[in-house]
Order: sequence, then C-alpha cells, then structure tokens
Amino acid sequence: MAPAGFELLREKSGFREFRLKANGLRVLLLQNRVAPVATFAVVYHVGSRNEAVGYTGSTHLLEHLMFKGTPEFDRAKGTAVAAVLEAIGARFNATTWFDRTNYYETIPSDALETALAIESSRMRRALLRDADRVPEMTVVRNEFERGENSPFQVLYKQTFATAFREHPYHHPTIGWRSDIEGVATERLREFYDTFYYPNNATAMLIGDFEEEAALAAIERHFGAIPASPRPIPEVYTAEPPQEGERRFVVRRAGEVAWCGLSWRTVEARHADTPALAVLGNILGGGITSRLHQALVEKSLALSVTVVPWQLRDPALFSVFAPVRPGVEASEVEAVIRQEIARLAAESVTEAECEKARTQIEAEVIFDRDSTDQIAASLSEAIAVADWEWYADYPEAIRRVAPADVQRVVLAYLHDDALTVGTYLPRSAPAATEGEGELQDGEEAAS
Amino acid sequence: MTTGAAAPPKRLPFAEAVRQRTLANGARLFVLENRFNPTLALSGSLQAGRLYAPADRRLVASLAAGELMKGTARRTKLQLAEDLERRAASLAFSSDASDPVGVDVSGAALSRDTDLLLDALVEVLRSPAFPADELDKEKKRLVGSIRQQQEQTSIRAFEAAMRRIYPRAHPLHRLTGAERIERVEAMDRAALEAFYTQRYGAASLSLVVVGDVDAERVLDRLEAGFGSWKAGPAPAIPVPGVPAASPGADLVRMPEKANADVVLAMPSTLTRTDPDFLPCSLANSALGQSSLTSRLGVRVRDTEGLTYGIHSSFSATHLAGPFAVTLTVKPEMADAAQASTLDEIRKYVSGGMTAKELAEEKSSRIGRFKVDLGSNAGIAQALDAAIYYGFGLSYLDEFPGKVAAVTKEQADAAFSSRVRPDAFTVVRAGTFS
Repeated sequence: MAPAGFELLREKSGFREFRLKANGLRVLLLQNRVAPVATFAVVYHVGSRNEAVGYTGSTHLLEHLMFKGTPEFDRAKGTAVAAVLEAIGARFNATTWFDRTNYYETIPSDALETALAIESSRMRRALLRDADRVPEMTVVRNEFERGENSPFQVLYKQTFATAFREHPYHHPTIGWRSDIEGVATERLREFYDTFYYPNNATAMLIGDFEEEAALAAIERHFGAIPASPRPIPEVYTAEPPQEGERRFVVRRAGEVAWCGLSWRTVEARHADTPALAVLGNILGGGITSRLHQALVEKSLALSVTVVPWQLRDPALFSVFAPVRPGVEASEVEAVIRQEIARLAAESVTEAECEKARTQIEAEVIFDRDSTDQIAASLSEAIAVADWEWYADYPEAIRRVAPADVQRVVLAYLHDDALTVGTYLPRSAPAATEGEGELQDGEEAAS
Repeated sequence: MTTGAAAPPKRLPFAEAVRQRTLANGARLFVLENRFNPTLALSGSLQAGRLYAPADRRLVASLAAGELMKGTARRTKLQLAEDLERRAASLAFSSDASDPVGVDVSGAALSRDTDLLLDALVEVLRSPAFPADELDKEKKRLVGSIRQQQEQTSIRAFEAAMRRIYPRAHPLHRLTGAERIERVEAMDRAALEAFYTQRYGAASLSLVVVGDVDAERVLDRLEAGFGSWKAGPAPAIPVPGVPAASPGADLVRMPEKANADVVLAMPSTLTRTDPDFLPCSLANSALGQSSLTSRLGVRVRDTEGLTYGIHSSFSATHLAGPFAVTLTVKPEMADAAQASTLDEIRKYVSGGMTAKELAEEKSSRIGRFKVDLGSNAGIAQALDAAIYYGFGLSYLDEFPGKVAAVTKEQADAAFSSRVRPDAFTVVRAGTFS
C-alpha cells in the first residue's frame, strides 16, 4: 500500500521504493530501529562525470554553495543550513563524487522535519550569489591544495587522467585548479538548473520512523517542486579500449615513493563486478591477503591498498602502495605483476575465496549497525547502479567461485589495459632532521 | 515536530541495562545486549600508555600495544589473522601520544563469532609472544611510516608546537622524525617484553561488549579467560606538571607543498575529569569546533575564504593536553588567516559567548550524543569512555542533564581562565618564500 501521492515501485530486503507522483522523486525507505536516530539523504545523479573542460569541479563547487543560502535558510538571517543542523546535533555533510552528489544528515528521529525542510529548500531554491562564490572559491582551492599535498591523491588523480582520455572520469572531482578559479557563478547556476530536480534525485530515509507519517511529510516538503522542464542530459562519451600499457611518473619533493597499477575494467552493473570485488579482497583484504604478504610482510611496501572501483561507467581495478624507503618502486611493481600472473596461472583456493566472500558479506551486515553507514553505502549504489543492486550484492558475492576470480584476472588484468604510475621523491632531502628553520623570539600575537 | 517519527523504543537507563562484573584481580567487565543487528562491538582499555614508559623510551608503549597482535604462545601472527579474517572479525590494540595513559582495545565481529573474538582477546592480552622477526619487520615499516608522516604539513606543524611547549621529559613532548627513527632502530624485543610484564595486567583492564549477545555468557567467558590473570600494577596516574606557556613562532620549511598548515597551541590545565571540562568544551564548540558554523569557521572560512578547515580543541584526557587551533591555508594567505584567527579568539575570550550560542551548543551536544549512540560501536565507545574516566555508567543517562545545566557564566569563566591569546606558540609548516 502506498499513500495517495505515491506509487510503490519495488520492495525487497526491507527496502521500499516509492515514486512521488507529482514530480518523479524517488523515495527509498528502510526502517532500522537500532536507536532513536534516522538518516535522511538526497542523492542527485550528477557528478564530475557530467562536467567538461572549463567547468571541471563545478559539481563540487556547487555543492559548497548549497550551504550558503536559500530564502528559508540563509546566513544573513542567522538560519544557515549548517547552523540549523548543528543546533539539533545532526551529523551532516555533503559529498561529490564521479557519478553523484549527496546531501545527508543523521538526526535524532524527532527532528526529521528540519532535515526535510532544508533539503527541499535547496533542491530548487538555492540563491547561488556571486558574493558567496568568491570567498568559497578560495575555500575550495585550499581543499584542492590539501589534496595536492598528498602523494596518494596525486597518484590516483594522475592515474585516472592517464587511463581515461575521452571519458570525463579523466578529470578529478575537485576539478583542475584553473577551472576552480575561473568558473563563473552563471555557469554554476546553469549546472544547477540542469541537474537539480526531483526527477534526477533519490531521497532516502533510513532508521527510526513511521512510514505513513514520513511519506506524508516528504510529500508536504517536496510535492510542490516541479520536475525538470527538459530531460536530464545523458553522458554519451565512452572511453575506447586501451591498446597498450601507459606509464607516468610524478616527481616532487618528498620522502616516500608510491607505485600504482590500474587496469581498465567494467561498470558496476556488469556481471563481473562481484568477482572483481572478491579478487580485490583476495589481493588486499587484511594481513592474510596476497599482496600484503608479498609486499608488506617482505618489507617492500609500507602498506597496500586495492580498489576495485565501482562506478556507473567502466572504471579501473587499482593497486596502490607506498614503497619502503631504500626499496625501488620498480621492485614493488614487479612483485605486483608477479602476483597477478600467479592468479592468472592458477586458480585461487576455495578457502581463500570463502574468506573473501565472508568479509564482503559481513561488511553489509556491519553497515546495518548504523543508519549513516547504510545511507553511505546505499548512496554509492544508487549512483552507480540502483538500490536493488545493493540489496542483491551479498547474494551475488556468494555466487562467486574460484574459477570466476581466475576468469576476471585473465579478462581484465592484462598489460594492454594497464596504467602504471610512479610517484618519486625528487631528492632524498635530509628533511627528517629538525625544523628546517627556527625563528625563535618572533611574537605569536603580533 | 513529530510528524515523521514514531515514538522511539523505550530504553532502560544504561545504569540498569548494562550487566557488569568485577573480578578478584580487578578486571572490570561490562556488557549491554542490543539485539537489533547480529554483530557485536568491543571497546576497552588498560593503563599501559607512554606515561608509564621511561622518558627516553616513550615509544615502547605504542610498540608493545601494536605488537600484541603479532603472535601468541599458541598462534603465529598469520594464524591469528587467518582465524579472525576468515570470519570477518577484527581485534586491535593501540596507544599513541594523544592519550599518554591508556591502551585502547577495539574489536568487532558477527555475533555468531562472539566466542572466537573473546577467546582471541584473552589469548593476545595474556600470552603475547613478541616474536623477534616480527619486531624487526615492524621496525623497518615504522621507519618508513615516520618518514611518510614527516611529509605532511599538518603533522610537522603540530609536532613542532608540541616540541616547543612540552619539555623533553613530558609525555606530550614529540621528538623530531629523525629522533624517533633513532629510537625505533634501537628498540629490542627485551624492552617490549619488560614493559609488557611490568605494565599489563587485570587491575587496570576494563572491557565493554555491546551487541547481539547473551550478557551472562559473555561475562562468564571473559571471567574464565581473565579470572586467573595476574593483577599487575594498581591503577594509578602520576600526573606530570603543566609547563608554563612558551609563546613564540616557529616555521617548518618544507619544499613543494601547495597547502600550508598553521597551528596555534598553548599548554592547557584542563583534564577530562575537571569540573570545568563540560563548560570549556561547550565554549570551545562555539569558538571553533566546526569549520562551517563556529565563530572561527564563519569568519575565517565562510566570510573570508582563507581556509578549507579550521578547528579549535582542548586535548583533555586524564592529563591536561594542549589547547590548539589548527588551520590549513594557501601559503600566501597564512598571515591574513592567522591574524583573523587571533582576532576572533581575543574577542571571544574577552567577550564570552552569546546566550544564543550557548543554547545552540547545548542542543547540538545533546542531539549529537543521541546520534552517536546510534550504533553498537558508538554505544561501546561511550560506555568505555565513561568507565575509563571514572564517571560510572549513569553518566550516559545523566549527560543531557549535565549539558543543560551549564550556564553562560560558567562557560565564559571556565574558558577565559584556560585560554590566553598571548600564550600561543604559533607554528607554520609548508613552502614559504
């Protein structure tokens, strides 16, 4: 049964998906009464994937401006979004990623109305003032600069920029520096007026609530917002197959080298995604994983991170490792390649596969410990596939057999689809010696 | 408003719902059944942090905690990891300079693996092997990871500030990276074992388990495991003196960093158990807890656009740590950001908070408290902290009332007596011409 304003679309594993008839807003509900707490989130199907040269980083900059003001929630009136949420003790934020932007707040469940009022207000009524963009641009530029301080972030951004030449996964979500600095407020508004509509969004409510009352409140807050006057533009740019190994080197001052190997793979919805996830766990999940054993236990790397990226369009399977000082990055690369070759040559054992499946399934169960964790996982799932994909994920993982793991290694982890990136400290400065420069006596309070 | 929410399930007060047992050797065990999800969370502590290590060898405390999982009398590191990982269970021990007193215990498992987790906990705490080959590997890894940390502007700035504020013998003093590397390289298995033998025991151990478990069974199993463990040293915290402030400025020059970090810090006298803690903490929240809504955030980030992140905090544990403000900046904007930050702090210390700010911070703190109790791990950590600081279980039930009772006069007086804008050590780390 659905209230009159809604149509019940699907239900499974405790999730119930509705469509707000007035404007096409999808509403996903999951009761989880672990505590008197709920998470409300709105996922917009717009991310850096929807940007192009000149306005890279716009989705993210826009996300920042969404905290600056609407007629109802405005700093100038002392009702800034963040201040209102802070005052009810909400744990809140917004994040932007390749395929989506999400806004979320975890709240005491008796404060749901506040969350709904804020999210409905900024869905179509953000003020997007130039006077807000100017200081916020420098805030975002500092966020970019913080990222540039991190060798790992530099390596992964360059990896995507190298592996993707045509598809917009080429550029990072934070954007290129000159685009962050140069994009005009009008361009951001155009972006907002193209993508921020109820029919391009999914609202989710997870936790402690009563369904009928919650849907009535959602309808009251969102029902009057019109659907987009034009269809939401599709991204049609596709990355052609890679026809040979690509390599890059970044040299900067630093202490520790990094090595990254990334292979072109598939989109999240692809049937091979579960096997790639299991492979990721076998290679990098915990102390017993193959690459931890081959790299960290052999004192070649300080740690190892394996990421089977799950995105809306075909993505990557990545291995990143900071190299232990004194070891050559090339040695770490060679060991990673050997381990991949070993997986191609002989099947993993059933016990190894079972451990990986158990760990991935357990993650989904641990998610249910807290409403914001479910919301976070669900946001990603909705952005790259849909909620049913999330609901079915444990079962899909359960079906992965050792032969599937070997098959995906052979299908995707070959040299023609590989991008190898190395971050090399430019010199080995004696930077651990002292402070560089000490200016004693200068007054702090001057 | 009430429209969207059903009446939340009535909870028993924590003081009634938590089952507890104190063993003859002093170990204190607490279990809360929470059957909404088939998982359990473990949180606990014992007094074996760097405070108890020799002043020239503080590192032995964090290393001993970290090496606990590297093998026991019965299982190698790999066997232990295999047994836990194949069931998706996790167990970890850590101790770092942010809390010089405690070793943190944390763990999680699906509830079907409760015994597996509890048995591993007992085995690891009671019979660690500290294998020499594992220590050698860890030393190599640590040297690399210290060098990796030394690349970070935030860490370099903060450590330089701690080095300037706290004298060498103080547990909050931070050595330089090079000094730490020397200490790591000099560490041996005998030192770890000696520290373990001397400091680890049941007398200061407390453990909290929250989740889909049978409380009596968990208590029985933990008692069976820890009942015969030696008591070890009785809980005691030899509190080091708080040094006088050492105002001044340092600069850590690092090449090719797009972002710089600025730290303003002073030694504070505030501990977590000080009656002024809650008033100070609420006052601090209004000044600088959030980059978005606090006075510092609104001025330096939101209005002036000089930083992505700015925070102020008291580092208050059983010991009084620093009061510190940290911010990230484009190097060219450091002067302006620092000036605005100091200006706001001065105004705040002299003028105090507004009644509206206090009301908002109170409702925020009470709401956040509820939100943080929204998971097994969140409840376990909150209970663990209440026990660790000697507040007792009823603290969680009484906390909202304690927050509500704080007055503006208390908050202003407490904050202005603990924070002196002319006492800051200011350190910048980054690329400055």
